[in-house]
Amino acid sequence: MIKGIPYETAWQNYQDHSSDQWRSDDRSKDSLLQQFHPDYQSETITTLQVGANQGDACQHQLAQLLQSNALIDEVDLAGASIVDTDVLIIGGGGAGCAAALVAAEHDARVILTTKLRLGDCNTVMAEGGLQASVGVDDTPQQHFEDTLRAGYFKADRKLVAQMVMDGPDVVRWLIQLGMQFDQESEDPFASLSLKRAGGTSAPRILSYHDYTGLEMMRVLREAVTYRTGIDVWRGKPVIELLSNEFGHCAGAAVYDLSLRKLVLIRAHAVILATGGIGRMHLNAFPTSNHFGATGDGLILAYRLGAKLREIDSFQYHPTGVAHPRHLAGSLVSEAARSAGATLLNGLGERFVDELQPRDVVAASIIRECAEGRGVNWDGQVGVWLDTPRLEQQKPGTLQRFGSLRHLAHKCGHNPAEKPFLVYPTLHYQNGGVVIDRNGGTTVPGLFCAGEVTGGIHGRNRLMGNALLDIISFGWRAGVSAAELRHNTPHRRFTIEHVHKWQRELTLAGLPLDNQGPQLFPEYANFNLKAHVVGEI
Amino acid sequence: MTNQLNQVLLRQEIQVGANLDAWLANGGGAGLQNALEAPEAIVKTIEAADLRGMGGAGFPTFRKWQFVMAEQAEDKYLICNGNEDEPGTFKDRLLLEKTPHQIIEGALITALATGVNHLILYINPHQNKAVEAARQAVAQWHVHPLFTAVAEALGRPLTLRVFLSSGLYIGGEETAAISSIEGGFPFPKQKPPYPAQHGIHGQPTLINNVETLAHVTHIVNHGPEWYHDLGVGQAHGTKIYSLSGDVLRPGVYELPMGTSLRDLVFEYGGGMLAGKEFKAVFTGGPSNTLLTKEDLDVALDWDSVRARRSRLGTGAMIVISVGTGIVKRVTEYIDFFADSSCGQCPPCKIGTRQISKVLRKIDTGRGRRAELDHLYNLGKLLPGSGRCALVDGAVTVLNSSLDKFMAEYEAHLIDR
Repeated sequence: MIKGIPYETAWQNYQDHSSDQWRSDDRSKDSLLQQFHPDYQSETITTLQVGANQGDACQHQLAQLLQSNALIDEVDLAGASIVDTDVLIIGGGGAGCAAALVAAEHDARVILTTKLRLGDCNTVMAEGGLQASVGVDDTPQQHFEDTLRAGYFKADRKLVAQMVMDGPDVVRWLIQLGMQFDQESEDPFASLSLKRAGGTSAPRILSYHDYTGLEMMRVLREAVTYRTGIDVWRGKPVIELLSNEFGHCAGAAVYDLSLRKLVLIRAHAVILATGGIGRMHLNAFPTSNHFGATGDGLILAYRLGAKLREIDSFQYHPTGVAHPRHLAGSLVSEAARSAGATLLNGLGERFVDELQPRDVVAASIIRECAEGRGVNWDGQVGVWLDTPRLEQQKPGTLQRFGSLRHLAHKCGHNPAEKPFLVYPTLHYQNGGVVIDRNGGTTVPGLFCAGEVTGGIHGRNRLMGNALLDIISFGWRAGVSAAELRHNTPHRRFTIEHVHKWQRELTLAGLPLDNQGPQLFPEYANFNLKAHVVGEI
Repeated sequence: MTNQLNQVLLRQEIQVGANLDAWLANGGGAGLQNALEAPEAIVKTIEAADLRGMGGAGFPTFRKWQFVMAEQAEDKYLICNGNEDEPGTFKDRLLLEKTPHQIIEGALITALATGVNHLILYINPHQNKAVEAARQAVAQWHVHPLFTAVAEALGRPLTLRVFLSSGLYIGGEETAAISSIEGGFPFPKQKPPYPAQHGIHGQPTLINNVETLAHVTHIVNHGPEWYHDLGVGQAHGTKIYSLSGDVLRPGVYELPMGTSLRDLVFEYGGGMLAGKEFKAVFTGGPSNTLLTKEDLDVALDWDSVRARRSRLGTGAMIVISVGTGIVKRVTEYIDFFADSSCGQCPPCKIGTRQISKVLRKIDTGRGRRAELDHLYNLGKLLPGSGRCALVDGAVTVLNSSLDKFMAEYEAHLIDR
């Protein structure tokens, strides 16, 4: 149990001593990360024993999932109905919708299947905004350099270059779909309002209040719903990918939650847009991710033979709510810190420059709590995010932050009077499936877009690049997938790759009763086998 | 008798690829020397060894040879059949890739025994490595004194070449191979006349599987007694089994002829995958009667498998477990036969397609009892209706699955 300064004392300290001066820092950035950032904790890291990334380092819980056995066997496919389509898109978030729209524009028949509903995704959680170099004093080159630097130069330069070049087109496309962005004045023809994000060389963030992602998803969802040629399947998680005789991806086996049966979808191309893995609560961290973010796509792609990269790297957002417990992990937007809100520990000290990259700020908060200077409120430990002072200094600032006020209301306090108690929250999976510039993976017929991919952000993502990445690579994957529709249909579409996988697992001495993907977080108590026979 | 793996054809020392000198240094050429010294004794040796055709039929090799020997002709042909394209069989490509010289030497010995003077390595073009190795190997034999010695012994011009087949399954059928080499589409022809009388360009033609020819080399080298002793029980020699399906270690295993199915699956194959229960085996083709749990102790040789009303075929063993749907698998294989049908004979062309359609309907849960009766009728109607045995193979596997796994078919019906 992490100790901390009891709430009452800390509250007293906050009222008495809090100041704008930060404590002189006694640690270098590197040693701070090494000692406190969860990615660097060697006891939670293991090596993968099977698959395309054999020998690579990987977080222990994730390794267990990646090296899991399939949920179904060939016998379960007997009697399953078969549906044919050109492009199958798995995931109903921003990347999936962008890919679906573009594939349908290229005359492909599209099925978009999603575990929950269209728009149940992390895209709607994106508060900060979208980066695109549309400013007069900004260039894609600067955007490229900022992105690489933030990712510790570990990103794939070709992917980054293409993405930043797509930036202005992405914004134009979204505006054409009907998306709103903040403008510099009330005039409908006024320029787009640009803000500076942490770690960037120019103001480049386009946003809409503090719910940019929600606004983006609103237009995407509308467009997908009204577009002909896109069939949206809700409540149908993918259980396993299908392969043909050459091991190429040939479709997917989908479980219909309402009819309780499997459906086989044969497709010329499959686009995985399943998002991240936050709901697996790696290292027992709370998460800002939505309910369905269980990393299904990552696990299925790996089982089919796709190569992954930087899978030991995750982003922890510094300011997730720490109290009350049932809201733990909910995000307080970075915009609050950008606007000037400070972080204070239980002694009322300011301990870090809040505008440093996310990994540094997160590690600093973890350090304060680990060294006993956090605030302990009913067993939940965190530090203060000082919104009252922000409101004092710049009155009216909080008025702009709709989501923040909404969250404070749910937490039961007024942000202008009381600070938030925050602690880092598992936010983003930096690595993922290796892709080329068209979103193609190492497995022919399988494409990826969105958070499930790797190589775009390196080992740390810049704020605002996620919303750009999902549209840019969603487009590319959609176009390339649609091109495959002229191929002859797959003659075989089976789960034979699973047998090969089971063979590898057995030879490596790994258990076969560890099954995945999990589909829902552990506390959902979902069991596929029981669900099929109706024991729930 | 020996329990060790890969004793003869796949012995590690002779896996030298296309390197002729390495092959001769490792015991190669001795069989050919024996044959050159006493060509007339070869057939007797093969007869004594009781060598059978490894391509699937299990027909005694010496008898086949005698048919060709009985013919009088200036030119006679030998097709070394390496076309293999059926699901679950992958032994010939390995032999051609790793040890092409033992096959060529076997072909030269066959030439000395039967008087054939045109030797054709008939290989599936999809097997790039096998083709490459065979081409290199042939080029080395052309300039080798042993090759000239064989030509002199024959007294007629001797040719040896690689011919790329069409890459289709049907191209492996004897008369289809002949059509293919004559330059046409691999259409099987009506028999009789048999290839031994009227083959390539009307000349007597002998067709042997590459594994059979590889065995010839070693039998002529070591003698029939040695070959006898390799087998288990009544069986002789060794056999290459292609093991695949739900086993832990699928692969190519050269084992004594007559090794039991249980040993093959559970000892050499490492047991069933994921600890599942054994259900059945599709043997050699997969165009034969299924072997089930009761047949686990069957010795895998020609006669013992025959006694179970099945056939050893090419030695391919596709193992399926209780987790695998039999209807789905049979559909898959019938689909393969339907796709492979050359389309000459309407019962085969339409019949296989029809079976596959009905099976698919049952497999996807849309079938009724009437469809099952339909399958029964097709199973009785179709055998023997084609020029070649393709449709017979398809029907055999269908009938045996109906016979042994009726309950599973019925479980899929709407009106069960």
